Amino acid sequence: MMNKTVQWIFWVVLFIFLALYPGMFGIYYTNLFVTFAVFAVYSVSFNLLLGYTALFSFGHAMFFGFGGYGTALALKHIPGLSLISSVLIGMLAAIVLALVLAPIVVRVTGSAFAMLHLAFGQLMYILALKLRPITGGEDGIGGFPIPPLNIPGIASINMKAPENFYYFAIVVLGISLWIMWYFTKTPFGQIQVGVRDNAVRIDYLGFKVPQTKAVIYVVAGAFAGVAGSIFSLFQNLIAADSAFSILVSFGAVINTLVGGLGSFIGPVCGAAIMQILEEVTTRYTDRVELVAGLILIFVIMFAPMGFMGGVRMLQMKWQARSAMKMKLEKAS
Amino acid sequence: MDPTTAMYVSQAIHGLAYGMVLFLVASGLTIIFGMMDILNLAHAAFFMLSAYFCYQFLTITGSFWAALLLAPLATAFFGIILERFFLRKIHAYGLMSQLVLTVGVALVILASVKIFWGTESLPVKIPPILSGLIKWGGLDYPVYRLFIIGLSLVVLVIMALLLYKTRLGKIVRAAVSDADMVNSLGINIPLVFTFVFGVGIWLAGIAGVAIAPILTVFPGLEAQMGMDAFVVVITGGFGSLAGAFIVSIIFGLLSSFGVQFVSSLAPVLMFAFMAVVLAIKPTGLFGERE
Repeated sequence: MMNKTVQWIFWVVLFIFLALYPGMFGIYYTNLFVTFAVFAVYSVSFNLLLGYTALFSFGHAMFFGFGGYGTALALKHIPGLSLISSVLIGMLAAIVLALVLAPIVVRVTGSAFAMLHLAFGQLMYILALKLRPITGGEDGIGGFPIPPLNIPGIASINMKAPENFYYFAIVVLGISLWIMWYFTKTPFGQIQVGVRDNAVRIDYLGFKVPQTKAVIYVVAGAFAGVAGSIFSLFQNLIAADSAFSILVSFGAVINTLVGGLGSFIGPVCGAAIMQILEEVTTRYTDRVELVAGLILIFVIMFAPMGFMGGVRMLQMKWQARSAMKMKLEKAS
Repeated sequence: MDPTTAMYVSQAIHGLAYGMVLFLVASGLTIIFGMMDILNLAHAAFFMLSAYFCYQFLTITGSFWAALLLAPLATAFFGIILERFFLRKIHAYGLMSQLVLTVGVALVILASVKIFWGTESLPVKIPPILSGLIKWGGLDYPVYRLFIIGLSLVVLVIMALLLYKTRLGKIVRAAVSDADMVNSLGINIPLVFTFVFGVGIWLAGIAGVAIAPILTVFPGLEAQMGMDAFVVVITGGFGSLAGAFIVSIIFGLLSSFGVQFVSSLAPVLMFAFMAVVLAIKPTGLFGERE
């Protein structure tokens, strides 16, 4: 296991790497990294439901979309809105949606929960396509003004430069990740895991199961909203296909599954792997669907525990071997 | 007969025909779920595949009837391969693995179809006996729509007889309620599962052939039918055939009359109906299990 020093070194190296990243790799890979970070946060928020509370949502994209559309609409219609408040508005939109849906969805579990979300997600998609005066239909909302980041009395940073936006996005998404991680470590987070493992028992212990589920549902929705909001700022465009489409919902499922269930960092790895694969496949072939499908089948058939599952298995093997070695040394 | 009545009748027939096709797809989906707890997200992809097979058999043999017979069987063959060699192996990993696997299969089918047949719409010609209109009681009825309704009813009756009048049907119904128990009574449940999965895909295949002459054959068929069929299964209740039937017909009529009266909001109607049903009864109209 990692001790304190190694952990500190890891964080410092990561920090320096992230700080130097735009300088080292150039604009193209900087933008790629922002996309990755957005989907990593989005997938982690999905895994908060699935991995920690066993609520399998098949329409997580609707929170992503609400966040994106919330920010885009706010910036389009409210003049002089600051950057931070636009992100908060996106988050608030997702929270409101989660609060509206929570009373219905916390009553069901398993496949009914999944299918309810599939259905609601699709309803949002169609509404986004059809409510043309508000959402702009297929074209979405684009070209809204992106305000500079104002730090009162210190600076006003232009967000149109990709490097500046990179730092802003990384900070916001990093904070989101940290809050979600912290959330799982609180006593409340432990109750969630209890709900996942044995809901009846948690009920008997005097905790309120539906309310617990509702809280985690709203938290997961809120951070998916943040991811969507950053995404729409990053693209300066939000459209039904990039926000509410079923493929966005599947994206979270796939990232989580490829990365590995039940570990906090799994979806982040999954998002990274899928991003790299997508980058590589689009470079060599235009049959992205075929490759994606084959990857999914391959992962499910041969590595059902995902990337982190594989890592953990190797770790266990390695530990078993070193334990064996120590035994042998003692014996001799 | 005045034009308003004529419009109502023709929209009703269109709606019924679409509802019946929808039911063919949704029934396979709901039977497979009810019995095996598998949500087959590749179901609509098989539906599309069958439409392409129909086009292919029609070009080879020149006979629509041969295509109607062969295309669903060929599709069912691929479905059986999916169940026997893929889904069965991952049953232990639960719902999510199955969902992702079937999504993967759907993507592969979609991509293969685009490789073999391209992305443009392929026309399917119906035989002369099924084209044209029938005049009866002063109204015109499109023959092919009536044929679809009739065909679906025949399939429905055969399925009902099979399910309620034969030994095999008894086994299937018992397996829906408790597969493990039936298995321990000495009945080869894995074989029954494969058979039922094949039949489910075959039903989707028939729907694919039936819809091909109306909508032409193109890759977008999957998305269009897939969502509708899922909404039907969700609204009707998982594993409930009666629910699937009633909701299919309602949706068929809703979409045809919806296009007539509120054309821009027609797709929303279906989802709004679903949202209302689910808000009152989260398991769907006839659903008992979660």
